[in-house]
Amino acid sequence: MNKVPKNLPIFYVFSFVQRLVHWVNFFGFMLLLITGAFLFSPALQGLVVGPAGWLSRAGHRWGAIIVGVAVLIYILFDFRGFLRSMKEIFTWGENDWKWLFAAPRYYFYGDDRKMPPQGRFNTGQKMFYLTYVITLIVLGVTGILMWFGKGTIAPEFFRLSVLLHDLAAIVITVFLLIHLYLALFHPAMRPAMDAIRFGFLPKDYLQHHHGQYYEELVSK
Amino acid sequence: MAKAMLIDTTKCLYCNACSVECKQQNKVPLGKNIFLTQMMIREIGKFPKVKQFFIKRACNHCTEAACVDVCPTHALFHHKDGYVVLDQNRCNGCGYCSQFCPFQIPQLEIFDAFSGAAKSYKCTFCADRVAQGYETYCAAACPFGAITFGDREKLIVQGQRRVAELKNRGVAEARLYGEKELGGLHVLYILEQKPRYYGLPDNPQYPVIPKVLDVVKILGYAALGVTVVGLGVNWIIARRNIRAEESIEKKEEKPHE
Repeated sequence: MNKVPKNLPIFYVFSFVQRLVHWVNFFGFMLLLITGAFLFSPALQGLVVGPAGWLSRAGHRWGAIIVGVAVLIYILFDFRGFLRSMKEIFTWGENDWKWLFAAPRYYFYGDDRKMPPQGRFNTGQKMFYLTYVITLIVLGVTGILMWFGKGTIAPEFFRLSVLLHDLAAIVITVFLLIHLYLALFHPAMRPAMDAIRFGFLPKDYLQHHHGQYYEELVSK
Repeated sequence: MAKAMLIDTTKCLYCNACSVECKQQNKVPLGKNIFLTQMMIREIGKFPKVKQFFIKRACNHCTEAACVDVCPTHALFHHKDGYVVLDQNRCNGCGYCSQFCPFQIPQLEIFDAFSGAAKSYKCTFCADRVAQGYETYCAAACPFGAITFGDREKLIVQGQRRVAELKNRGVAEARLYGEKELGGLHVLYILEQKPRYYGLPDNPQYPVIPKVLDVVKILGYAALGVTVVGLGVNWIIARRNIRAEESIEKKEEKPHE
């Protein structure tokens, strides 16, 4: 690979496939979240009575397929990137614990003095990604059991699946709220939104937020 | 006044009249294995000592009905007379009722396995007829008087009398099923043997998961609420601080690193 010059104003951090996977995931997940909320929340249940309920349940299945397709796209078209992301989110080190302690002061007061240098994903992003992967597996397995297993699996398993599906959905929704908030509203995170849309990060942001990764890029 | 049916299995001859009448009158789809009530037969013992047990299997209209609690569209609900009504127009076919029922009674008519479009079927207690003061179709159809429709309390007394009579005649295991089970069923059975001989759970239990789900829902709302409030607080504080910092930086005319 060519050496990346140090004085580039912007760096390419997310490939086309990675960005595509993110946005396909996003739309699938939003569909799942909305149609799922209809079944979960007593306040919304009145809207999915009878045939409207069929529609929302079919929508939930389409959402599941879209998210499944997103994962497939990643595995089929960028397997290395997929493996690398998986490896990164499962690798936790000293800097991650330091980050966790320093993060509140940064996210509330913009005080970055104690923030340790971070890799391509910072600890918070790793936490979100890791939670997403784990809950996606739980949601997928229990979802498929409920979709195809009705009447063939023991009712006890079906009931347990409903419970696990609800729990996993709550966990990932909490994380998603934080994810959306940081992407859309937090004043210090604006450039990250460009990275996931266009793939580029400005040099100063990269140095500041992902110091370790920046060193990796320029030392290649 | 709570209504109920008393099913005296000692008088039943497995003629299926109840099942046929029910399917016709309640317009249950034909050609699909869907019944609101169905005769179940079980053979116990080894040849030549075989005994057949048969029973009319249908919704037992529990007082503590798990199906009512898990139904997301409230298509299932308790009638003021105690029995459990299914409003098919509200049913979205999720099938939770069929999976949470301790007796595994509700059946789904599945229109599309992919999209999950379906409708649930279970005994309606012939709610329209009962409302007009008639008995249920199955009770009217039974030629042997094995199905009695009436006030639950009177039926319990009648059932206990019949059990005592059976015991006098030497049926040691005779019992009345449904008086206390799951808060009291609205279908009572006179059995000659332990319930499991008839495919009924000896001690039916309200499933644990719906109760856990109630707690999970509250925890879920709490978690979401706390998150939203927390993020809001962060937004207010961070915006003020980071703006202040930016303006200081501008004043000092230091380029942002």
